[in-house]
This record gives sequence, C-alpha cells and structure tokens, in this order.
Amino acid sequence: MRLPPQSGEWIVRSKPHGFRFEGRGYTGFEGDTIASALWAGGVRVLGHSFKYHRPRGILSAANHDVNALMQAGGTPNVRADATPLQAGMSLTAVNTYGSLERDAGRFLGWFARFLPVGFYYKAFHSKRLFPLWERMFRAMTGLGRVDFSTPRLRTPKRYGFCDVLVVGAGPSGLSAALAAAEQGADVVLVDENARLGGSTHGATELISKVTTHPNIRVFTDTCAAGYYADHWVPLVERDRISKMRARAVVVAAGAYEQPAVFRNNDLPGIMLASAAQRLIRRYAVRPAQRVVVLAANADAYRALADFIDAGIEVAAVIDLREAVPTEQVAVLAARGIPLHAGHAIVEALPAADGKRVAGVKLAPVNTAAPVTEIPCDGILVSVGWAPAAPLLYQAGTKMRYDAGVHQFVPDTLPDGVFACGRVNGVHEPESRLLDGECAGSAAAAHCGFGTMKAISVPAETASPTHPWPIVPHPKGKNFIDFDEDLQLADLENAIQEGFDNIELMKRYSTVGMGPSQGKHSNMNALRVLARATGSTPGEVGTTTARPFFHPVPMSHLAGRGFTPERRTPMHAIHATAGAVWMPAGAWQRPEYYAVAGQSREECIEGEVRAVRHGVGMIDVGTLGKLEIRGPQAAEFLERVYISKYVGLKVGMTRYAVMCDESGVVIDDGVVARLADDHFYFTTTTSGAALIYRELSRWNTLWKLDCGIVNLTGAMAVMNLAGPKAKTVLASLTDADLSFPYLAVREGSVAGVPARLLRVGFVGEWGVEIHVPAEHGAAVWDALMKAGQAHGIRPFGVEAQRLLRLEKGHLIIGQDTDGLTTPGEAALDWAVKMDKPFFVGQRSLKAIAGKPRRQQLVGFMLSADHAGEAPKECHLVIENGDIAGRVTSIAWSPSLSRHIGLAYVQPDIAQAGQKFSIRLSDGSMVTANVVKTPFYDPDNLRQKEAT
Amino acid sequence: MSAITFENVSRTPRAGVKGPGAAAWLAALDLPVPRAPNTWLPLPGGLIARLGLTEFLVDGSEAAKLAAPLVPGVYPVLRQDTALVLHGARLNELLLETCSVDFRALDLAARPVVLTSMAGVGVTVIPGEEGGMPCCRIWCDGTYGEWFFETLAGVAGELTQPGHPCNQGVTA
Repeated sequence: MRLPPQSGEWIVRSKPHGFRFEGRGYTGFEGDTIASALWAGGVRVLGHSFKYHRPRGILSAANHDVNALMQAGGTPNVRADATPLQAGMSLTAVNTYGSLERDAGRFLGWFARFLPVGFYYKAFHSKRLFPLWERMFRAMTGLGRVDFSTPRLRTPKRYGFCDVLVVGAGPSGLSAALAAAEQGADVVLVDENARLGGSTHGATELISKVTTHPNIRVFTDTCAAGYYADHWVPLVERDRISKMRARAVVVAAGAYEQPAVFRNNDLPGIMLASAAQRLIRRYAVRPAQRVVVLAANADAYRALADFIDAGIEVAAVIDLREAVPTEQVAVLAARGIPLHAGHAIVEALPAADGKRVAGVKLAPVNTAAPVTEIPCDGILVSVGWAPAAPLLYQAGTKMRYDAGVHQFVPDTLPDGVFACGRVNGVHEPESRLLDGECAGSAAAAHCGFGTMKAISVPAETASPTHPWPIVPHPKGKNFIDFDEDLQLADLENAIQEGFDNIELMKRYSTVGMGPSQGKHSNMNALRVLARATGSTPGEVGTTTARPFFHPVPMSHLAGRGFTPERRTPMHAIHATAGAVWMPAGAWQRPEYYAVAGQSREECIEGEVRAVRHGVGMIDVGTLGKLEIRGPQAAEFLERVYISKYVGLKVGMTRYAVMCDESGVVIDDGVVARLADDHFYFTTTTSGAALIYRELSRWNTLWKLDCGIVNLTGAMAVMNLAGPKAKTVLASLTDADLSFPYLAVREGSVAGVPARLLRVGFVGEWGVEIHVPAEHGAAVWDALMKAGQAHGIRPFGVEAQRLLRLEKGHLIIGQDTDGLTTPGEAALDWAVKMDKPFFVGQRSLKAIAGKPRRQQLVGFMLSADHAGEAPKECHLVIENGDIAGRVTSIAWSPSLSRHIGLAYVQPDIAQAGQKFSIRLSDGSMVTANVVKTPFYDPDNLRQKEAT
Repeated sequence: MSAITFENVSRTPRAGVKGPGAAAWLAALDLPVPRAPNTWLPLPGGLIARLGLTEFLVDGSEAAKLAAPLVPGVYPVLRQDTALVLHGARLNELLLETCSVDFRALDLAARPVVLTSMAGVGVTVIPGEEGGMPCCRIWCDGTYGEWFFETLAGVAGELTQPGHPCNQGVTA
C-alpha cells in the first residue's frame, strides 16, 4: 500500500523502522506516524470506539483520531495519527478487552438500545443502583493503562517572548509571519505539524523565505495550547512548554475538515479527504484502491486531483450540491469519473467481516429515487470545515455565523489579536495568502513596526461548507461524535427530552466531551439542534472553549516546578546533629534530632527533659524579624498591634498580637524597644512575609515618619533555654545577664554583636540570641561547645510545641483559625480598647456586646486515662452536638498527664467543668477544664524567681 | 557548547539603606546616586543600585561608607544576601527557564536593575555582558541561597545535556 516516492514526502525510505502492533511485526519508515505505517502495512482497524467498541481506522490523520489511541509501553493514549513512528515500538490499542482482534467489548454494540442518550444521568438517578453502576463504569471506562513506576520527568518549562506570535503555518500563517517579519517584528511561528505548510503540501518557496528569515523563529511539532490574558500562549512541544508572551497574536489555525453523517460512517476506510491527502503526500501511503468521493465544495475536487495523481481509482463522486460548478464537473468529465450531483450517501456497506468499508448506497438528496450501490474500499469525504477557533474564543473574540461560508467567523477581535485564513472564513488558496499578509502586516503595525498594508481579500464565491451534511437512517449508526459513539438519534432524543440548549445538550449527551473535544462533532451537533429548534446555527451558538485547546501530557503539566526552600544559617549543623526535617512554610526545620537506638517519642522527650532540667537550644531563625525606625515608630506599632507600645520602656519587650480589620487574630510576636525611635520585633514563621507586606502597605497609607526593614533572612536566632542556660551564655558574653524577664539587651556573644531578648515561650529561663546571619553558625557552635559540660541538647519543633503547651502558650494558626478573635483565644488581657485606634478595633467593639461563640481553654485528661488519647481536631461533643474542637494535645512528661488546648462553648469553659471529646472510632473521652499554664503556673522559672 | 559559570560573591561587602533621606545621605557620603529607580552606577570595586524610590544597595568596598552616622529619614538595611555572578553562552536560556522577565529586551546601556522572582525566589538582578557573552549579578535572601544555587545549577546542567530541547534542531 506504499506509493512510489511522492514529491516532498516526509518519510525517509532509507531508514526503515520495525515495530509491533497488537503482537504482530510491521515495518515503517522514519517520518511515518504510527497510523501511516500501519495503514501502509495493510492494517485497517487501528482501534475500537469508546462505547460500542466498533472498529475504527483513520479519520483525520490530523491529531484528532481518538479512536486510534494506543498504549506504547508505559505511555497510554498515544495518538497514532500524529505520533512519529520509532523503531522498536510495541503498541496496543487502548480500548479493548483482550485484544483488538478478539475484543470482548465488541458485543456491547448489540446492547445499544439499552444505552440511550443521557445514560449516565439515568443510571445514577437511582440511589439504590448507584454503587452497582459506579463499579461497572469504573471497570469499563478509562483509556489506557497507567504505569505507576513511570519515573518523574522534569519536563522543562520556559518563558518566551516575541512581538508577533503566529499560530498555524499553513499558507495564511506563513504569509502572515513573513509580512510581520518584513516590517521588522520579531516573529514566532508555531505549527503542530512536524513540517511547515499546513494543508498545502507545497508552498516550498514561501516556506523557504520563512525559515531563512532572520526575524522568524519557527516552532514545529508544537501546539499553542491556550490563550491567557495579555497575549500569553503556552506552546507545548514534545519535551518542553514555552510560555510565550507576545505583543500581538495572529491566529491562522485553519479549520477542521468535517465528517458527513450517514449510516456506518465510521467504518475503517471512510476518512476525510484531507486525511487521504496527508497519507498520500506526506507518507506516500495509498488510502484505498477504489474510492468514492463524497463532495460538497471546491476542496473536494482539489483533493480529487491528488487521488488521481496517486493512481487511486475514483469510482464516483457523490456531490451533495445540485449545482456543481462547471470547472469541477469538467475535472471529472475529462477523466470519465461518474458524478452524482444532488446525491448523498445513505449508508456505507461493510465487508463481510464488518471491519472495513466495501461499498456505498447513495440516493438523491431531495427526491425519493431508488438507491444505488457502488462497490469501493474507501470513501473520502470533503463536505465542509469548522474553524479551529478555540484560541480566538479564549482570547475573547466575538464570533458570528456567516451563512455565506456556513461557519463561525471572527466578528470583533480583541486588541492585538488577528485572524486569517480558513479560521477567518477565507478558504481559497490565493485568498489565504493575501489574508495572511494582511493580518501579519496589521499585527506588526500594532507592535509599532511599519504601517498596515491595505490589502483587498476577495470574498469567497461559493461556500466551502455544506449546511446539512447529515442523512438520517432508521437503523441508526450514523455517528455525529466518534469519541463518544453518539448517533444522530441520540441528539434528537436529547433535544426531545428537553435538553434543547447547546450547553445542556453537550452535558446530557456528552457530545464534544471526548478526547477530541468536539473538533469533528460540535458543528454537526449544533446543526441538529438548530434544525430541531427552528433556529439558525448563529442563534444556537457554540459551547465555551476553555484551555487547554488540545490535551497536554501530564509529564508536561507535572514537569519541572520550583518550590523554594529556605534554610537557616545553622542548617548544615542541624543535619550533622541528626535533624529529622519537617517543612514549616518554605522553611526546613528540625522536627527533632534523632538519637541512635531511640524512638521519635524518646528523642523528643529527651529534648524536653534537657530544657526542663538542664539546657537546650532551638533554632528559631525562621521567625519573622522586622525593624522599625523613626520618630513615629511607636505610633505605628500602636496602630498595628492590639497592645500599647508608646509607653514601652527602652530595653524592654512586650508580647504583640496583630488582628486584621475584622478583628481576627492573624499574627503574634515580641516587640523590643531598642531606642525611643527604634524597635525590633518578631512575627510568626509563617506570617513573616505577609506581615511585612501588610505593614508596608499600612505605612504607605498612613505616611508616618518611620521606615520598616525586613531582617528575616538577615538575622539568625537561637533560643537558649533551661535552668543552666544562663551559665552557658555567661561564659560567652560580655552582657550583664541579670537583666529581667522580658527585657532586651545588646551585647556580644562569642565575639559577635547580638541582641538578647529574655523570653519565656518554653517556660524556663531563656534568651533569644539574634545575630547577623553570617555569624549564626559560629555562635551556635560556640554555645553548643560551651554547653557540653551542662548536657546541652539541641531541640526541635516538636519539643518546643510540647514545652509551650505545658505553659499554655498558643500557636497562631494552630490554636487559632481564620475566625478567632483575641477574646476567644483568651488574649483579652492584651487588647487595649482604650487606645485611639488599632487595626481591628472597630470590629472588636462591634462584637464586644455579642455572646462569645467559643473559648480557648486548657484541659487535662484524668491521671488514670488509659487507651487512645484524642488528637488535634477531634470534636468536643455536648448533648450530642458539636461544642468545640481540640487544637493542641500532647503527653506532658513534666506532668505525666495528657494536656491540651481546645475551643469549647463558653458555658463549659470554666475551670473544673468537664467535657467530652469524640475519638476517631466514635468513643468518648472525658476532659477536665483547667487553668493554664499547666506547668509552673506562676511563671517563676522563666522569671528566674525560683 | 560552553557551560554557565557560577561565581559565589556572597562574601563581598555590601550594605543597604532606605528611607526618604537616603539619597541625600548617600550623596553627602560622596557616593554617586543613580537618578532613576531600578538603575545602577559603578563604584570603585563595586556598584550602587537604586532598588526603588528610596532604597539603595551598595556592593563592594564602598559599602564601608554606610557605617557613617545615620541622619533622620535614613534607615540601615542589613544585607546578608547570597550573591552570584552567572556567565556563559547559555545564560539567557537559563534565565528563560527560571524567570518571566525578558532580559534580552533590556537596554544594558541604561544600567537596569531588575527586581523579580527567579525560580520562585525574590531576586535583584543586574544583567550585563562580558567577553561577548551574557552575564548577570544576582542577589537573593541568604536563607534561600543554597536552594537557589542548587536549583539554578541543576537547570544549567540540564541545558548542556544533549537531549535538552534547546540543544535540538528546533530554532527557538
């Protein structure tokens, strides 16, 4: 079935490729697609249809043949009609039970009448049968086999830039690219085919000009997959995505040739005329021996010339039009090919095995004349086109139905978007070149390159598309949607059932919802709906076109992504010390430090013991660190935090809680006053970037005389805590460590300038040591060395969580949520409503008089509690209703009890009251409300008053 | 095919300053002040970059001048950046794979300073050319530094692999 060498053929005959399909060996050539190589090898059935498992062959050979999806090793759903053949490929059809030849699913067609349109809707209507259908559909649906051992591909993504992006390298696209480039624009030309030229199968001179032009970059084998704001178009290549930002876009995407609808129009051997042309001109493959051409436009007769040149016997031309133009009639008369004008194919006749076409039945379109039969092994259809307009729709183009060409064409294009060629309703070859030149020139001019050429594009003299290429048949199997096996009657029934709007009909019938996304079905479906409802196609309209325009491989979507990771200056030290990492926002933090022979829990308990009885140190450099200077710095802090800072003494710190304008707690930290006009303050780890941004915004709005500097990454911080911490620090600092709890001092630690904040987050004598990041590792090392004699241990986030819980200190984001007010979080004491203003004050005033919804309380389980303990987020249940939730809970080694924090209803929030917590298995555990802190309730240890 | 070279210049002295009085204060220290935001000027052994209307970065030995006493409206910015100098024929491709800014469209004669995101990390970039090949100086928050370097180096390594799309026949 391979033809003699064709001018400009894509195959390389000197490079044969052996491959296997369904277990049998074949040979193709480099440059073949899988489908062309199989067709050349005499294979007619490339796959089975989705629903009825009907045999299917080549339809478009244009990357839309979704019935020829194949499994290639671990890669499912390889499109055989567009995927280059590779030596050694092993392929199978995806939608079969068993094999393509012995597909058990082929009997499903017998049950077609039990699979009516809207079958999914109807099946799942019954609640009782829902599980049955679900199991059945899950077993039957899905295409291909996912190989879970497939390695993660880091498919690159890149940004690209150009002045003019031209989508489509057919005649109009080539012409547009050249015109834009000639005017000086930097042009990117994209085409999904492996070579330029589109459907012209020639245009050598034009292609040569384009490929040698210094202003034009060409992307072949590349799909412009969608249109996003500001002319941003993802270009999907085989091994990369380029996110192309253009200043103007020319859509020259062409049109999809459309099938005709008649009984058995899906038999292998029935294909679009353009598909047959591709087989002949690109791959030198004979589409069939003896064909019938179903025509309705000039393109059919141009294709006919290709068929005759290739030596294909044309048994007859059946033209849907009554009046065939004289020059087209002459083409046939010169070759003695019979013409059946005003006729349609009413049925394609299958061969005895049912797996290929063996003839046609034709009849006049408008009269009830006898049916004629013509034997053939191929039917080549050229009855019209649908514009490849998804990118235009996505760009916001207003389209209108042009009855002159029977297709939707751009009516109003967005700024910087241009259209040309078939997608613009221009089909004649010479006109397409002119239309492209016009669009390219306009696009370049839009970008400031030259002036737009005044070019007149002749109007189409005849419609390239037939308005009704559809023939009903009482026995059906006249398919409108080849993806979903939808027949004409299915759509008519859907409309009759009331789904008489294009969007409703689409969802109910699933027309256009298959892998080809309606490229061959939407227009005919729309025509059926228009005729049934007495509307015009323009009134029916089209469904919404959303990105992606064409399926994008998961390997691209899940390709290389960037997830930035922050590491504190002590990261390497922690790693050496056995840190087990946990993510905290972008940060990597030690969850705990592994000790050989100890479990995670034992390690954490050991770290807790070190802090409670000796000395421990934690890296808290992930905290947000901000500095504010200026005469109105205190005023600024007064406005953004709920407490007071104007009166804060120099050398002292104060806990700081921040609310948003709705009075919800969003952050906390410590504010240290270093001078009258100089404050240094911390934020939560997760809130650092957000809070800096928010404070910068307020500062811009308020125009106070102060400036904020973000030092989060510039300062390293470690919290040294425990009864022996002071002794350890004293050996390395010149600072007087007798300064009180909540004070701040500046001094040096291990010879490095440091800020020392006396804090009590973990409930022991503790000091946060803030040093420039470049010195962080050295200071940490020095402290660890100085602490060796005292049994110092680094402790991680989990130990800190436990230590702070024993003190009843909350963690913003864990013990609060997006609705928590300071009062609910037991932070009333920090709210200074007598201030003139702070962010959130007005909201807090508004809710002050309302009953409180919930209250954060400390709780303990009974000392003799055995069995499973509640977990964070377990619900508090009161009288059968949800009355709160646990936010923190842990086993306290210091108290030998389970302790926790929970939100509960205010009526059960008093110390001494009990409430019930429901575990995952439904059982209930009783908790006792207790005052916090659980540990060292008078805070004597952190104040060093013991 | 030449590789992209990475030079870690984080140890270079640098200091920052911001505030409404910053420009005048720098001028009083005899430092040239870039007139336009997002531009830079050379200094002996370094450069001064204007990062916005009122924020400046001094990179190099002249940074020591910023230890001078502050005046009202001037706020020091402690700079503990990771600083890299990248150079090589493939640099533009590396930038295209990690950053949405079109560096090739910039007029280097105007000495642009670009504040943007690269591989998801906030960066300050000064593009340039050296020996006929593109180069750029990049500063980022030091806590992102290791990851940032590893990531860029990884992408740069891929660019020189034979199978990488930018090394195939496609013109791009």
